[in-house]
Amino acid sequence: MLVGIDIGGTFTDFAVSENGGLRVHKVFSTPCDPAQAVLSGLDGVTDGDRGVVERVSHGSTVATNAILERRGARAALITTGGFRDILVIGRQTRPELYALQPRAPRPLIPRRWCYDVPERVDSQGRVVMELDLAALDAVLDDIERQGIESIAVSFLHSYVNPVHERAVRRRIRERGLLEGWQIALSSDVLPQFREVERTSTVALEAYVRPVVHRYLRRLEEELPKASVLRVMKSDGGVVSASRARQQAVHTALSGPAAGVIGGFRLAQLAGYDHVITLDMGGTSTDVALCPGKLVQGSQSGIDGLPLSTRLLDIETIGAGGGSVARLDAGGILRVGPESAGADPGPIAYGRGGREVTVTDAHVVLGRVDPGHFLGGATELELGPTRRALRALGSQMGMTAEEAALGVIEVANAGVDRALRRVSIARGYDPRDFTLLAFGGAGPLHACAVAEQLEIPRVVVPPHPGVLCALGLLLADVVLERSRTVLAPLAEAASDHLQGELDEMGAQARRDLMAEGVEEEAIILARLVDVRYRGQSYEMTIPFEDDLAAAFHAAHAATYGHAMTARQVEVVNLRVRATGLVDQPAMSPETVEGTTGVEARIGDKVCVVSGLGAMGVSLYERERFSPGAAFAGPALVFQMDSTVFIPPSWSAQVDGYRNLVLQRL
Amino acid sequence: MGVDAISLAVFQHLFASVAEEMGVTLQRASFSPNIKERLDFSCAVFDGQARMVAQAAHIPVHLGSMPESVAHAVQAFDQLRRGDVVVLNDPYHGGTHLPDVTMVSPVFVANRAAFYVASRAHHADVGGMTPGSLPLSTELYQEGIIVPPVKLIEGGERNEGVLKLIAANSRAPDERMGDLEAQLASHRVGERRLLALVDAHGTDRLEEHAVALMNRSRRMTERLILQIPDGVYSFEDFLEGDGQSEGRVAIRATIRVDGARMTVDFAGSAPQVSGNLNAVPAVVHSAVWYCVRLLASSELPVNHGCFEPVKVDVPAGSVLNPDFPAAVAIGNVETSQRIVDTVLGALARALPDRVPAASQGTMNNVTFGGRVGGAPFVFYETIGGGHGGGPEGEGLSASHSHMTNTRNTPVEAIEHSLPVRVTNYGIREGAGGRGRCRGGEGIRRGYEFLAATTVTINSERRTIPPYGLRGGEPGQPGINRLLRDGEAHVIPGKATIQVVPGDRLIIETPGGGGWGEMEEPG
Repeated sequence: MLVGIDIGGTFTDFAVSENGGLRVHKVFSTPCDPAQAVLSGLDGVTDGDRGVVERVSHGSTVATNAILERRGARAALITTGGFRDILVIGRQTRPELYALQPRAPRPLIPRRWCYDVPERVDSQGRVVMELDLAALDAVLDDIERQGIESIAVSFLHSYVNPVHERAVRRRIRERGLLEGWQIALSSDVLPQFREVERTSTVALEAYVRPVVHRYLRRLEEELPKASVLRVMKSDGGVVSASRARQQAVHTALSGPAAGVIGGFRLAQLAGYDHVITLDMGGTSTDVALCPGKLVQGSQSGIDGLPLSTRLLDIETIGAGGGSVARLDAGGILRVGPESAGADPGPIAYGRGGREVTVTDAHVVLGRVDPGHFLGGATELELGPTRRALRALGSQMGMTAEEAALGVIEVANAGVDRALRRVSIARGYDPRDFTLLAFGGAGPLHACAVAEQLEIPRVVVPPHPGVLCALGLLLADVVLERSRTVLAPLAEAASDHLQGELDEMGAQARRDLMAEGVEEEAIILARLVDVRYRGQSYEMTIPFEDDLAAAFHAAHAATYGHAMTARQVEVVNLRVRATGLVDQPAMSPETVEGTTGVEARIGDKVCVVSGLGAMGVSLYERERFSPGAAFAGPALVFQMDSTVFIPPSWSAQVDGYRNLVLQRL
Repeated sequence: MGVDAISLAVFQHLFASVAEEMGVTLQRASFSPNIKERLDFSCAVFDGQARMVAQAAHIPVHLGSMPESVAHAVQAFDQLRRGDVVVLNDPYHGGTHLPDVTMVSPVFVANRAAFYVASRAHHADVGGMTPGSLPLSTELYQEGIIVPPVKLIEGGERNEGVLKLIAANSRAPDERMGDLEAQLASHRVGERRLLALVDAHGTDRLEEHAVALMNRSRRMTERLILQIPDGVYSFEDFLEGDGQSEGRVAIRATIRVDGARMTVDFAGSAPQVSGNLNAVPAVVHSAVWYCVRLLASSELPVNHGCFEPVKVDVPAGSVLNPDFPAAVAIGNVETSQRIVDTVLGALARALPDRVPAASQGTMNNVTFGGRVGGAPFVFYETIGGGHGGGPEGEGLSASHSHMTNTRNTPVEAIEHSLPVRVTNYGIREGAGGRGRCRGGEGIRRGYEFLAATTVTINSERRTIPPYGLRGGEPGQPGINRLLRDGEAHVIPGKATIQVVPGDRLIIETPGGGGWGEMEEPG
């Protein structure tokens, strides 16, 4: 049995593949001890016999929450002499441009536990000042007195020559101060130039590593010895739990990655290769563009702190089903970023919510049906919801329905802007893409935002609410190695680069095999980060013999121009080693042409944008036969979501039970 | 279909996203670290009457000065044609200081310019006396190439001559070319996007909403001014010499609040000076609007409407409205900070419970350059400092304040490409002024030069400290030192020096002023 497990704020979701079948399962999350929900859910899907589990792929929010809630380890930082304050100064910007008194995010490591030691390596890797061992010992004396659990070490230019960082680790071990795993070197965690990002990343690593370490050890102890436990990283790949314990911070932005993997894989399976994923949940919406491949981003952060691990290029906005709608001081309708969250949630949930949310707007428009919400398990409060929308509408001189349509339109405008940022602003035409909609609210909004961007097709997977768990089940093992070169291409001989890449590739291959991946399942991608000399951001492109030509072409494709006369600089070499995991057997079912009548449960009158009240057909998702075809306006209810199909859209259920929606 | 709360929200998103996409394009395609890494640029959308509808600004000093550029670009020609892009940097014709190169282009619908898009980027070198183009100058001609509004693209045809001319006047011509191309790319994106909006919604509906959004921002600004008690509030502060002489240069602001209208009058400010810290009125407008924006909630989108209720008077011939060809190199970066200090100081008299004490009041501009083995190098950076303490608590330490928010350049990037070593970069403890809420701490940054280099420093608050308020003490002034042969020499706030290998420069930036009296111990 293969299991994908995704821990969310409210539910912990399971996707299970067994004997060629695929099923899903949900239990309530246990935020105080997330492992509890994981284990009880596993017992649920295995009928108490955990021994049948061969592989668990897990999306862990342990690192993320430790950072957001500041519940990490007592960590210390050791830097190059004179740079002790690097975490406080950061990039020396303030987070808000227009604030009478701007605030900065609180660093994870207090200044008291930031230390510096005289040493210096120059940009070419030459030692220009030896590491001052006496000063180091004095620092370690103090660290010992402070009861520190983990130490981050980040020296300038250590990406070229880590000799002094390693000497610090050796000294800590000699003194028996901490175990090896409690020491994080920046040259191991992120061997790349730009000291602020590298130092912040390794500080985050030291801060979360002990917490992640304890959590994963507990899970491993509870799982059968023969099973494999893997954890998702921010780049969308999974690694073994033992590796994740050494790269804890690489899991910190993994939350949205699993959904992108699941969405892209399902879309590919259904025959769509150019995909934009739209994951609209309760508090936020994530969009990602996959032009036939997963796209990696690099610059990022968490809670205002720089974090430069590899991650999928995902744009997040603060608008979801739980986002609050209100008129602002200037009389404009705003949706989000404030959210009613899971508790109290929308007014319609009847748990004390008083502020109108996007979900409430759908309820008033009849798009979230009381009889079908969460499979009918929860009652919806129609009266108070309608009264609240009527009050909002009267402030704008509108009916409750008009106000509800407005709330959705404004939410969609925000989603539209995010979709443009990932597509048009990066040189892609959304008309060439399929929108894959999931999350509880995604399928309600997908057709409207697709219309705005002229995206011709929307695909809604069979279980839009548990796509992340499925993504975990489908995710490959990915290890990436990088090495900073920072040399003009003309000087870096191609065979030298090739030699370095070969060496990195061989190492990555050994690492993957140590993860239990079969040699024939390994795919190596050799990549380079290149830029024009003088530019300060790189493009990652596949390594080729004529690297300059490849870079000019890539630059022209992305930015509209190339500068062929300029010197090209190689910044980093990268090897991404992918270990293909056994995919659950998924083959299409036989498609029979029906009109969807088998799933039709009636119709009702709903208010539709621009058209007023009209009859809308109602369907139940699980009763469709593959091949069913029908036209909007329609609502398709299912346990974890609702699909809204506007007039002038057609729908077809494909062999994988995806709903494929197309503009007529 | 009229204008309502929903369509306003939708069109606000649409206009903002045009400016945003232009900004993304400019950043991604640009070359110089100053634009790409430090984000020293802004993009904006204007209506057919050259009123600003939306902007994506990273730098407050660009906030109110872009409209001037569009006005001058339009005035300079009988008629702009479809496919024109105007470029300018002349501070006396729509610019601010020469490194800020602005482009303006009309977006034609049918036979008229229904919209304009504009971009401004700080180019690291546009010629002049010293590398980095922020020299200790006495007239504009010494500060770099002067570009009056000229057509860089005329009816779709590139004027390669103009491009080459601008690039050739820079110490880094390739970089200039790359950055100018990036600005052009952002204009292509802006135009394409606006035309798509015209297709989707029609010009009438777009214009109707542009006007409604401006009216809304005007009303919000008026409401904000209404909350300031009527009255006359004055404040005076000083700059510390113009780089030619040490004499104090007064900046005096008198704010008159009358209902929903506000006038900021700079009468009483010093006459123009011979050195480089004169500021053109566009810079003054930016600084004033920045202060007004600080009082607003985050929901006030900046557009033409915000500017209407605030009148700014700058006396002709003063340091804030100099006559051509007065030098203006650092009016944008230093004088603008002092304008903020005086306007906020005056506002503090009206709103004593809201306004914090003075922040560091300088950008600590460090420019240097030279040649290594025949190849030129140029570098510009600014250094953060302390923010003022205030009613909400202590001032922020070691970060940029008020008119700038540019990022630092990574030490590893500096050392990789320049013959300099950054020896230390940390918090300058004890710099924040004491008080119930103390001022933020400054920064101490040290450089060791590995080659003969020309260094120009333009810094302020070296003798007159950032003020405290409500009994709080002033912050510590900054100090610049050169260590040569084991001896420390204090360098004036504004100086050009020649350094030799082994010389070390240490910049200590000011702390913020304290706010409120210290509580009695015990």
